[in-house]
Amino acid sequence: MSDDNDFLRVTDVSKWYGDEKVLEDVSFEMDRGDVTVLIGPSGSGKSTMLRCVNRLAEAQEGSILLDGEEVLSPDLDVDELRREVGMVFQGFNLFAHLTAVGNVALGPRRVLGLSETEARERAEAQLERVGLGEQFDSYPAELSGGQQQRVGIARALAMEPKLMLFDEPTSALDPELIGEVLEVMHGLVDEGMTMLVVTHEMSFAREVADEIVFLDDGRVVERGPPEQLFDRPEEERTGRFLERIASHD
Amino acid sequence: MASATRPAAVRERVADADRSVGRLLLVAAGALFWGWLVVSWVNRWLGGVIVPVGQPLVPPGAVEATFGAIPGLAAYAADAAFVVELTPELSRGTWLTVVITAVSLFVGFLMAVPLAVSRVYGRFSAWISLGYTELLRGTPLLAQLFVLYYGLNLASYVPGAFSGVFARDVVWVAIVGFTLNGAAYQAEYIRGALESVEEGQITAGRAIGLSKLETIYYVVLPQGLRYAIPSWTNEFVYLIKYSSLAAFITVPELYYRADQIASETFRYTLIFVVTGVTYLALVLTASKLMEGVEDRVAIPGLGAEREE
Amino acid sequence: MSDPGTLALAAAASAAVEIPTGDGLATLAFIGESADWDFVFSNADYLGVGALLTIGLTIASILLGFVVGFPAGAVEVYGDGLLKRVVSTVGIVLRGTPIVVILIVMYFVVGVPQINLGVASISSAMTAGILGLGLRSAAYQSQIFRATLSSVDEGQLEAGRSIGLSRFEAVRYVVVPQALRRSIPGFQNEFTIVLKDTSIVFAIGLAELLTRGYDLFSEQTTAVLEVILFISAIYFVLTFTTNRALDYLGDHYAIPEGESA
Repeated sequence: MSDDNDFLRVTDVSKWYGDEKVLEDVSFEMDRGDVTVLIGPSGSGKSTMLRCVNRLAEAQEGSILLDGEEVLSPDLDVDELRREVGMVFQGFNLFAHLTAVGNVALGPRRVLGLSETEARERAEAQLERVGLGEQFDSYPAELSGGQQQRVGIARALAMEPKLMLFDEPTSALDPELIGEVLEVMHGLVDEGMTMLVVTHEMSFAREVADEIVFLDDGRVVERGPPEQLFDRPEEERTGRFLERIASHD
Repeated sequence: MASATRPAAVRERVADADRSVGRLLLVAAGALFWGWLVVSWVNRWLGGVIVPVGQPLVPPGAVEATFGAIPGLAAYAADAAFVVELTPELSRGTWLTVVITAVSLFVGFLMAVPLAVSRVYGRFSAWISLGYTELLRGTPLLAQLFVLYYGLNLASYVPGAFSGVFARDVVWVAIVGFTLNGAAYQAEYIRGALESVEEGQITAGRAIGLSKLETIYYVVLPQGLRYAIPSWTNEFVYLIKYSSLAAFITVPELYYRADQIASETFRYTLIFVVTGVTYLALVLTASKLMEGVEDRVAIPGLGAEREE
Repeated sequence: MSDPGTLALAAAASAAVEIPTGDGLATLAFIGESADWDFVFSNADYLGVGALLTIGLTIASILLGFVVGFPAGAVEVYGDGLLKRVVSTVGIVLRGTPIVVILIVMYFVVGVPQINLGVASISSAMTAGILGLGLRSAAYQSQIFRATLSSVDEGQLEAGRSIGLSRFEAVRYVVVPQALRRSIPGFQNEFTIVLKDTSIVFAIGLAELLTRGYDLFSEQTTAVLEVILFISAIYFVLTFTTNRALDYLGDHYAIPEGESA
């Protein structure tokens, strides 16, 4: 089914909240440089799945191998894992008391142990990368939603992650601000970043994804390359979901 | 419409002018108050370089004469001279009040931060913290001072290094009492503020690889402590006022000295009104000071939406 | 110590000399001394009367505080001109002055007389205590009500006016009920503060719980710690019970939507 070079291999992951099963035997895998997009109705477990990869949520069963290492192992240094896996949040979650540069520099300074100057230089470079060269010293409250999310992306990139997780990065944005964030994400794809993305932006998914995974009720209903999944879905549920999304757009 | 708004606008402007005059008077009074205090203290420390120690900065006779010369104030000339005569004792007492408050507040803060953090994020330590704050907040401060002073006779256990810093060792007992008590109240305010820091802030901190403790230190505390400033100011003000209870364990601070003079001279009204005004001046200074601190450390967007 | 001041301070000064707390920290080991506990328990009824006085003083002061503080808060929100300024200035003075100074001023300066009700009489110390604690509490309660009255959405007042209520009626029937519910947490705080601060009437010699405790341990000086711990426990039970009772009240009258948080 897959070769040994899989960079991220998720196998039969299950998770419960109390009695409620939110993930059931979820499996998929990605190679280095791949972009995988998780889609599905709200409450289908896609965000939870994403969070299991950097252990912000704990899966109770299954295996997640990242670069050959077991993520779910109880002995794993979770902070070390998160150092290597960047995450971008739906609600941005920018540190409210720090400027754009401060937000991006905190990780390099305190986690990677860079000097004050090095951390600042790295932060500025990352902010330039996401097109915020003018907003270095603005506080989150002084930035638009789109700008805030780009700071969020820069903050994750500054740790030089080997995998980036995007949890509905544009869902909290006004429609006219979505484009600038997707543009930055496009750029990352072009640079060959490995990305696992939860999103409702279907045209973006179609353009950049190597594989689409459709989740419903905590299970993988169908997965495949975008042209197959979007144009010739094999499962009835996938088709219904895509229709519903399309009629909303 | 225009005619209806104009008088309102005029009234508004008059009110504004009133307010700015009021502000100016307040600033002038504050400057006079602190000028008097600081000069009196310096004079005492330097052994009476300006006037002999124990003498008022201005001769009471001169004040009486000045008041007597102004029509309308002449009736108060004797009272004014009496108040001036009190000032050396009052400034001495105020010094202790200020020192006790400042030291207790500062050390109490150092205790309160870990207490609050363990209350919010600890497991076992949360219970210890809860027990401590509930116990200290559930009993009267005066009873706590009595426990330390009469019950434990703490005054005779002041270590050599601290003994002699103040004229009476009992001052240390008061400082210990206010510190332990204030720490409980401060912890409660800081706890509330920490809890109002959004969950997402912690998630984001953890997501870039900060440990839990690092996230608290670099992300939660800088925000939480800013949120805590207004309620913390309350505690500051409370402490200034409640420091007067130290008098009941014989600490010669402001209230104690006022009380002594009153029982000698029987001029209760004047003396306690002047004492009250002195406390009021300290309290107003503290809240102005904290307003300034709040502005200084303000960050756009932080705390603004907290009203909701 | 040469010049002992008024009443309690004089007592404190002399006690400092007379009470040979002697063993100090070492007494910690003797907290279990049964003779001293016997002394405490044999005087439990004496302390009990003190506790009742404490409770009575608290309730009377809170009520006075409410009766004066609520209108004062309303004036600060809805009033204007001189009245508002006077109210807010008096509030600042009362909140900026130590309660012990307020009590002393009430007792010595205002010189409230003994009130004779025929069946019972209220001593002048009691009257001064209620006035001092009550007016100071009014100053704090006015701030609670000011905050909650102004926290009720402007639209509520407009909606009230739109169905034909007068301004006063709209405030009375729409704003006030909401504000009062929101006031419960602040009120809870105020209640326990007043309860604890009743101990400060020690300064004017009113024989409530703390004063009685003081009298007791001045009498049997080996039982100092036992007596203070005992009365502290009573205070703790009182504040704890009050808090839980008001918690219950808060839950009971909470308006759904949780805006009282």
